Parts: sequence; C-alpha cells; structure tokens
Amino acid sequence: MQPHRRSVTQLILFNVFNGLIIGAFYALMALGLSLILNLSGVINFAHGGFLALGGYFAYSLMPFTGFWGALVLAPILTACIGILVERFLIRRLYGRDPLYSLLLTFGLAFILEDATRFIWGAQSVPFQVPAVLTQPLSTSFFFLTGYRLFMVALVIVAVSGLFLVLGRTRFGKRVRAGTLDLETLSTLGVNVQLLRTLNFGFGIYLAGLAGVLAAGMLGLQPTIGASLIMPSFVAIIVGGLGSLPGTLFGGLLIGLASGLTAVFFPSATEAIIYVIMGIVLLVFPRGLLGEEGRLQ
Amino acid sequence: MDGRLFHRALGRRTLLKVGLAAGAVQIASPFVLRARADDMVKIGFNTPLTGTYAAVGKNEQLGAEYAVAEINAKGGIDGRQVQLLVEDSTSGDVGTAVQKARKLIERDKVNFLLGNVNSAIALAMAQVSNELKTLHIVTGGHTDAITGKSCQWNVFRVCNTTAMEANSVASTLIETSGKKWYYITPDYSFGHTLQGGLEKAAGKLGGTKVGEDLTPLGTTDFSSYLIKAQSAAPDVVIFTQQGDDGVNIMKQAVQFGLDKQLHIAGAQMELEVLEGLPPEARVGTWVFEWYFNQPNVPHVAEFVAGIRKKTGKVPTARTWFGYAAAWTCALAAAKAKSLDAMKMAKALEDFELPPEIGLMPNPAAYRAGDHQLIPTLFVGNAQANGVSDPEDLFKITKTVKGPDVAASADANGCKLVWPA
Repeated sequence: MQPHRRSVTQLILFNVFNGLIIGAFYALMALGLSLILNLSGVINFAHGGFLALGGYFAYSLMPFTGFWGALVLAPILTACIGILVERFLIRRLYGRDPLYSLLLTFGLAFILEDATRFIWGAQSVPFQVPAVLTQPLSTSFFFLTGYRLFMVALVIVAVSGLFLVLGRTRFGKRVRAGTLDLETLSTLGVNVQLLRTLNFGFGIYLAGLAGVLAAGMLGLQPTIGASLIMPSFVAIIVGGLGSLPGTLFGGLLIGLASGLTAVFFPSATEAIIYVIMGIVLLVFPRGLLGEEGRLQ
Repeated sequence: MDGRLFHRALGRRTLLKVGLAAGAVQIASPFVLRARADDMVKIGFNTPLTGTYAAVGKNEQLGAEYAVAEINAKGGIDGRQVQLLVEDSTSGDVGTAVQKARKLIERDKVNFLLGNVNSAIALAMAQVSNELKTLHIVTGGHTDAITGKSCQWNVFRVCNTTAMEANSVASTLIETSGKKWYYITPDYSFGHTLQGGLEKAAGKLGGTKVGEDLTPLGTTDFSSYLIKAQSAAPDVVIFTQQGDDGVNIMKQAVQFGLDKQLHIAGAQMELEVLEGLPPEARVGTWVFEWYFNQPNVPHVAEFVAGIRKKTGKVPTARTWFGYAAAWTCALAAAKAKSLDAMKMAKALEDFELPPEIGLMPNPAAYRAGDHQLIPTLFVGNAQANGVSDPEDLFKITKTVKGPDVAASADANGCKLVWPA
C-alpha cells in the first residue's frame, strides 16, 4: 500500500500526539528521580543504570514468565537492588554535602552500565514485545501503535497511583511532610531512615518500569539508560525542582517540543530541550511549577 | 558519617552545575593498559570499548586478537612475538581518542596503529599517525575522505568507502523498489558522505530524493522522523544509522508498520545490528562488507569455526576488519623485510591479501593511488531467522566486485605526499 502525502497541518498534529507520548515516557523516568531528590536530596545519577537493569531483568525473565510477568517482576527486582544500594551505600552519605551522594551515584552509573555490559554483552539484545502490541492501530494514524498507547496508559496508571499514594496513604503523607521538613517529621516519631529507604525503592521501581517499557521501543543495550537520563533531568529543572506535577508537565513539554522541532529543524531535536531549559531558567528561575523556598 | 541525619539544602544551581559537569565527564572514560615488553613487535589498537560503538569496536578487537595469535603461532614478525595493545578510544570523543593514539605511539612505542570505527576519530588518528610516521590501518571508519581528500602515505583502509557501498546497492534498489528515495541520516561525517554517495549513485540511474532528515547521533526516539518520511510517500526510505541508533530506528519503523508501506533499505548493515533486533524487525535491502556464510569460498569455514570456538559466535564484518588489519601489519613487515613505516607502506601498495586472509570470492588488494582496499561487497536482504544457522540473518543476492563500484583515486581527490 502506498502512503498518502500529507499536509503540514496533519504532520504537526501527528507530531503533537507523538511528542506527548514520548513526553509521558520522559515524565515517568523523571518522576522517580524527582521522588528521590525531594525526600533524600540525592541527585540519583545512577537512575539510568537502574533503568537499564529493569530492561535487562525483563529480558532475562521473559523466557520464563512471558512479557506480562516480566513487566510485573522486573521493576520489583530492580527496586530490591535499589533498596540494597540505599541501605548500604547512599544512607551513609545523608547529612553530608549533596556532592558526596552525587559522586557516589555518578560512579554507580558507570558500574551499573559496565555490569550490564559484562553480564549481557555490549551488543543490543533482541527484546520482543507481544505481537498484539506492536501493530499500528490504523493505517493513517500509523504512529499510534498498540505499544505506545499501552505505554501511555501505563504511565497514566503509574502517575495516578503515585499521586494517590502520596495524597491518601500514611506513607505518602509522610513523604510529602518529609519533603517539606524532615527534622520536624523525625521529632514527631516517624522512622525517617525507613521512610527514605522505601521512598528510594519506590523511585527505583519507576526507573525499572521505565526500563521495561523502553526496552520494547528502543534497542536494549547497556547505554540505554545513559541516553535517556538527560531528558529526565531537564524535565525536572523545567518543571521546577520539588514539584511532582511540575516534573510531569516538564516531561510532556520537552517531548512535545522535540517532536515539533523534527517537523521544521530535524537536526535540532536534541538541542531544543536544552534551549527550553535555558529560556525557562531565565524567565522562571525556579522552573515552571517550582515552589518558592521549598528546597532552599 | 558526621552523625547528622538531614541533608543539606540542595539548590537548583547545584543541580544545574552538576548536570553540566556530568555531561562533560560522560565523554571521558577509563583506559585499558596492557603489560609491555620491549622485545616484542607492538600493534596498538585504539577502538571504542564504551558508548554506542562498543559492540562493533569489541568485535574488531576480537578479530585482531585472533590474527595476532595466528601470527605468533607462525613465528611472529621477523622472529619476534607480536603484542596487541588495546585502548578505549570512546565512541565519539575525538579529543580523548587522539590522546590515546599519541600515548600508544609515543609512550608505548607501537610499530603499528589500528582503528577506528568512528570516521571522525579515524581521520583525527590519521593526522597523529602521519605526524609521528607510524603505519596506520583504518579498520572500520567509512567516510570517503580517509582515502580521499585527507589520504596520507602511511594510512591504509580495510573497510569500504561510503561511495563504494552506495554504488553497490543503488542499482538493486532502483530495480526492485523504485526511484523515489527519502533519507534519514545521522548528522556526522559518515552519514553525510554515505547519503551523498547514495544520492549520486541513484541520480545516475534516474533516482530522485523526495526528502531528507538529519538525526543527532545517539537519537533514541525516531518516531517524528518516521512520521515525516511516511508522509512524503517515497518508494524507499533509506536509513544510514549504525550501531545502537540503527537498532532503534529499525525497531521503531517496523512497529509503525513502515516496512509494509514502503521499502526499507540502506547501504551499510551489520550483523551486530540484526542480532540486536527482534526477528520481525530484520527487514530491508542492505550491503554487507563481509559475511560469514560463503560456502564456496576456501578458508572461510576454518576462520568461522576458529572465531566461534573463541567467542561462541560467528565472526561479523567487524571481526574480519580487525583480523585483516592485524594481518596486514605482519604481511607488510614481511614483504618490506623491515619495520620502517615508509618501507612497509611502499610494500603494501597494490598488495593483494592472500586468500586465507581476504576470505572473499574475488581478490582484495590495497590500491596504490589512495591505499584503499578494494574488496568484494555483498548485497542482499535481511532475514528474520537463519535457516541453516541461527546467526544467518542475511541473504546475499549479489556479490559486487570492488573495482566496479570504486571511483579512481584521482576522482576521489587523493594525492599522496611522501616524506622526502
């Protein structure tokens, strides 16, 4: 079948949709980062490493559990590793200058990338998603594949789940309270160490989930996390440090911008997200939805 | 631990500064240093072991290691054992790669320099090797300039020029798939010259360009480019992405069903990429520069078996590049009866690789005019699953003789200048 020539309007419309899909994915990664950053003050540079780990765990589990089983188990397994890392490494650095934990996670990012390269090889591995998900839904809206819509649906579920947990449960309320004032929370008798560990695990769970989803869309290779981490940081900065809705919004915005740029100036799709970051920081130094004084 | 439970305030500025610093440091990476022995002949291999070209860079290294073992088993070079020194050039940081090349030549005193996968790095390394008068075999950087406008007396290249790859596949594509082509091209020297070559080759046969997009190297999501390409309604969409980028674009194109609407093709494809794809995404018409499944060519089966024993996998074109490059060093020294770079370079001019090294249906020789190896190219289609062998993911439909697709050295703009 021959495709039809399309007008520029259609092309823009398509890229708006598509940009939002990609943006939703950036947001999922960025939310995990943001959670950890808000409560523990740790800039988790190893987030991309955990993301890759999630994808590779799913790849190794798939022969036994199938795609759906792997989708459930791999993020949990990744979160378990995350909890171990928090308990034995990161916890020692709370209370020190943030640069300490940053250097630690930065080194960890290299270790995780090399570990995946050592275990699973430098070459991409063929990660297969169920055939039902890989079909485009219609020939004209061919970029709306089952997999991409499934991804968006899952992001919506994960994000609403996250906000429900934060808004309604005792754990969530404590996390939010801790983000505002950890010292007072501790004085009130909350086990802050445990809270941080669980919160870290939760953030890494989101990284693992993003990893499984990414592996279905991109080639699964050791560098997969490194190539996705920068957009997530930009999403956080654009959205505003300390604000989870801001992170979500930031992710969608840069996805959209990158999609639209491809229509007019394709070689600048990467540069555009940094341009946006620059402009936002000049005009709204705290990011679009950042709250005054929260982390200062 | 200083006993304080609470973290210090973390400002936006800190995050920003740190983000910038991290962006810069990502490029740097550790290097591999092997033991040295002064009585040995040394081959320095500066190849990407990290980043997007890690898989292909590693395979080139494996091929060179295999060759060095063979050379040593046959008595080494001039009775001396050969040692391979490997450095991680990184996949894209030219500055680091140049430092590593200098280190290999100046500190480790290697007799030969090999590499690189990345065209830009290969060009930069060639400047260093030329300045330091060291015989340099470019393994797998394809951009035309290496044996064209930037050619050097001391630089020889095993892999093809992008123009040779383009010329090999163009006629097949026009005949089988149509004349309107859309290009999605990685935005660096390799991509540009490959697209340029394809446009020229297609133009001669009546093919036209209906659109093009340049993608930043390391792009993960290609969907917006694919939307544009589909909208332009070409007969053929040409992907010139390599390595991880190649895996990403193929996977996404097939998920969008583009392979059912138009023909997917490109010039250079590699087994590393096909193996990284799920079976349904192994589609399209491509050029392989070397392929392991050549049942009627002598010596190939032994080479494949040997590599399989060493690595558990079949050799790829990259393995062969590394293998042929390391053997070229030994053969050059043997023919020149010297380790002097200029004498060896002279000896390699119009030098034909012996069949057990060439491993191709037709003879492969380094052309005197520009030091380009003129080998055989393999045109064909990717296949979802191997029939006789699970790794047999490419079906050769045509073998192309190098001389038929290579422009003359003069036409490529190469003028070799020898030192006085």
